[in-house]
Amino acid sequence: MEGRPLEDSELVERAKQGDVNAYAELVARYQEVAFRVAYHIAGVEADAEEAAQEAFIKAYYALGRFRPGAPWRPWLLRIVANEARNRRSASARRTGLALRAAEARASGDTALSPEVLAEARAQRAELLDAIHQLAEPDQLALTYRYFLDLSEEEMAAALDCARGTVKSRLSRALGRLREVMGVVQHG
Amino acid sequence: MVEEKDLEQRLHDLRPYLEYPTTPNLVVAVRARLVAARRPWWSSFGIPRRLVLAAAAVLIVIGGLAAIPQTRDTIAHWFGVKGVLVNTVPSLPPGPLGHDLMLGYRTTLADARAGARFRVLVPTESTLGQPDEVWFNQAVPQGEVSFVYHTRPGLPTSSTTDVAILVMEIQGSVDKNFFGKMIGPGTTLTEVTVNGGPGYWIEGNPHVIFFKDALGNFRDENLRLASNTLLWQQGDVTLRIEGPLTKAQALQIAASMQ
Repeated sequence: MEGRPLEDSELVERAKQGDVNAYAELVARYQEVAFRVAYHIAGVEADAEEAAQEAFIKAYYALGRFRPGAPWRPWLLRIVANEARNRRSASARRTGLALRAAEARASGDTALSPEVLAEARAQRAELLDAIHQLAEPDQLALTYRYFLDLSEEEMAAALDCARGTVKSRLSRALGRLREVMGVVQHG
Repeated sequence: MVEEKDLEQRLHDLRPYLEYPTTPNLVVAVRARLVAARRPWWSSFGIPRRLVLAAAAVLIVIGGLAAIPQTRDTIAHWFGVKGVLVNTVPSLPPGPLGHDLMLGYRTTLADARAGARFRVLVPTESTLGQPDEVWFNQAVPQGEVSFVYHTRPGLPTSSTTDVAILVMEIQGSVDKNFFGKMIGPGTTLTEVTVNGGPGYWIEGNPHVIFFKDALGNFRDENLRLASNTLLWQQGDVTLRIEGPLTKAQALQIAASMQ
């Protein structure tokens, strides 16, 4: 595997032929998004890890059913989401997202005064708190779109819904977030 | 109050400030699981496992080979993995074959001999000449040595592979009742004597193999023998030759091992 990095489709084709190394490359590429999607659903780190690992194994054995030329990531995320849902435990204490203790600073932050930084931090905390007040489907829609940067197709896979309903679900989630935060709507 | 137009931007901006658990390294675990249970060959054709098992039930089941515990996995590995090698060579990625075959690392004959805890035998049959590649796998107890021979004039060739012959050696003995083979029409398994030791000649179409793993569980493995296989025990070493060979040719190579 010298030269340019192989495309997903090339790695998938090689994995279909039993090339475990090619598949390991796919795992390396997508383990973070797989783990994070699983974490948002399962809510527990250990369950998310187990779900993501199991999803990669199941995806490998299901490669024969994968449609050549289709994007692999949404296909994988659907399996990940299913595995994570199967591991959800009602009794488990779910840990929601938190802000970093030592906040990463966007470029330019360093030029801001401590007061402005404190205000920005408070606004972030307020926003995250508002998200946590939403129903879970709304939280997931916002999370997938804005925090994990999933495409519509990937969101549909992770949310287990038709692609055509992703926009409306996202719009509904944003509307509810506005209500919680008392957002002023224009026009 | 927050302006609506700011809300989506604020959500975007929140992303780098979120605390996620550290992503675990799944590569090692996933790879290890896949290697431990190689994909059954029939899955490439989309054949449901239950159909394969049902079909297998009507196939002839032949009592097979057995290995002492420390060599069980290796012998099974030989059958389960290396058979795939020859059949899938046209689609293997570029680069040294051994990486995909889990042969260990490529090395020299001298190094392999130094690493192995048994006397390494090398074919001296004149049409073979020197092996094109020597591999040593230290993950196998006592070591596993493999010789790869590419296609060359005078060697039997396959229309589907650049690899002519694969010779592999481990320390261990062959016993009975270890694993069975489900062999369909077009595949035969014949008991042979090779250099005074027990051996088996497997020839014909792809067939399914099942075996007990180190924990005593039955597992199935992929076996797609595009070419034929001679497996035999010589002293405390078990050897395997695979290639598009006739039985006589394989026996001739085996007889030349020194």
